[in-house]
Amino acid sequence: MTGTSFLAAPALSQTAPVVAQVTAIEASLLAFVVLTALATAMARDVLAAVIVFGAYSLGMAALYTFYRAPDVALTEAAISAGVTTVLLLLTLAKTTRIDHDAVFESVNVPAAGAVGLLFAGLLLTMGDVPAIGSPDAPVWSNPEVSQWYLAETYAQTGVDNTVMGVLAAFRGFDTFGEAVVVFAGGIAALIVLHREVFA
Amino acid sequence: MSDVRPEDDAAPGDSAADGSGDDPDSEVPPHRAVPRSGRLDSEIRQGTPYTESQVIMPTVKIVAPFAFTYGLFITFHGSGSPGGGFQGGAIVAAVVFMIAFAFGIEATRDWLANTVVVALAVGGALAFAGIGLIPVARGGAFLQYDLLPIPVKYGLESVEIFGIAAIVSGVLMGLFFLLANGFNANGNGFGDDGRAEEDAGDDRGDEPDAPDADRAAATDGGER
Repeated sequence: MTGTSFLAAPALSQTAPVVAQVTAIEASLLAFVVLTALATAMARDVLAAVIVFGAYSLGMAALYTFYRAPDVALTEAAISAGVTTVLLLLTLAKTTRIDHDAVFESVNVPAAGAVGLLFAGLLLTMGDVPAIGSPDAPVWSNPEVSQWYLAETYAQTGVDNTVMGVLAAFRGFDTFGEAVVVFAGGIAALIVLHREVFA
Repeated sequence: MSDVRPEDDAAPGDSAADGSGDDPDSEVPPHRAVPRSGRLDSEIRQGTPYTESQVIMPTVKIVAPFAFTYGLFITFHGSGSPGGGFQGGAIVAAVVFMIAFAFGIEATRDWLANTVVVALAVGGALAFAGIGLIPVARGGAFLQYDLLPIPVKYGLESVEIFGIAAIVSGVLMGLFFLLANGFNANGNGFGDDGRAEEDAGDDRGDEPDAPDADRAAATDGGER
């Protein structure tokens, strides 16, 4: 359903410069995400870092929505921006918080250099990444896999949401394993904290 | 919603104020960092930090039903729109977090019994496995939905609702309450002073014959 509308949309030409396709919303979202990520890494106060990290997750959720991945966006918003932030705040409330004079950490030069090198290395690979929405992207150009799921999910399972069809039916056993991992995570927390009851 | 707020709400804050106000100078427990500079505010609010706010409580009272409904919608409507059990379960758990922040974690812990949390997590895992094993019993493969006695679509939805959503919401609520307890306030940082056995038997650990160390831990947030 989503896939067909995607295909029907005018295909972006492969040769057009990528910069021309970046809209103002996208650019501001990207800038927001990068800035909050940097602030999370650099904030001296842990509480500030946690809160900015929540803002980063919210920006990522908006970005996923913009890129038409609403399932991922919902997960990012609920788990990362919501639950993780709450759990981190709760942990901070249990630990020591120290008053700082400086707002940001001082930059560790060797670490910054290593990160810069990694970043530069990753940038070198960007030339081979297909443009967003490009019909030549592997996700669109192999009808045997992704197009098959888009076409067959409704016919075989009766659900409109292809993501859920794939998660619950086509790879249902993997999803069962994931659910058991979540369950085991709760049990592991009980064991680590030497408790026998949750609440 | 206001009946969720028993009178022992103010107890953690009060007792933390006068109970542990005298011992920050004595010595820092081994599991806690030595203060390098500034204040050590975890000594002041050792328990679950809670302030009765006239802004937060009405806001949560208004927002919580809608958020809860939204979580259920995301869960139940995952087959037709974005979402599913994982996201919906997380939203439902987040509603419990909201209520806990507004009305006090200990009050919410009493309101939402341990049985509910455990039933959600364990029941979800069992439901998922059971739905997957029914087709096996009928001679098919694990999670082969067309062998279920219901349409395939409802098979998927029942996995999402009774399996994934239940597990995720139960485990997230459980992690929240566990983290709110944290480590034991005295001793080596772990709750291995015998209270684990008490936990198994009794929900509330305020027996009159509890030793002094236990009561101190309970009043400043060490209780369940």
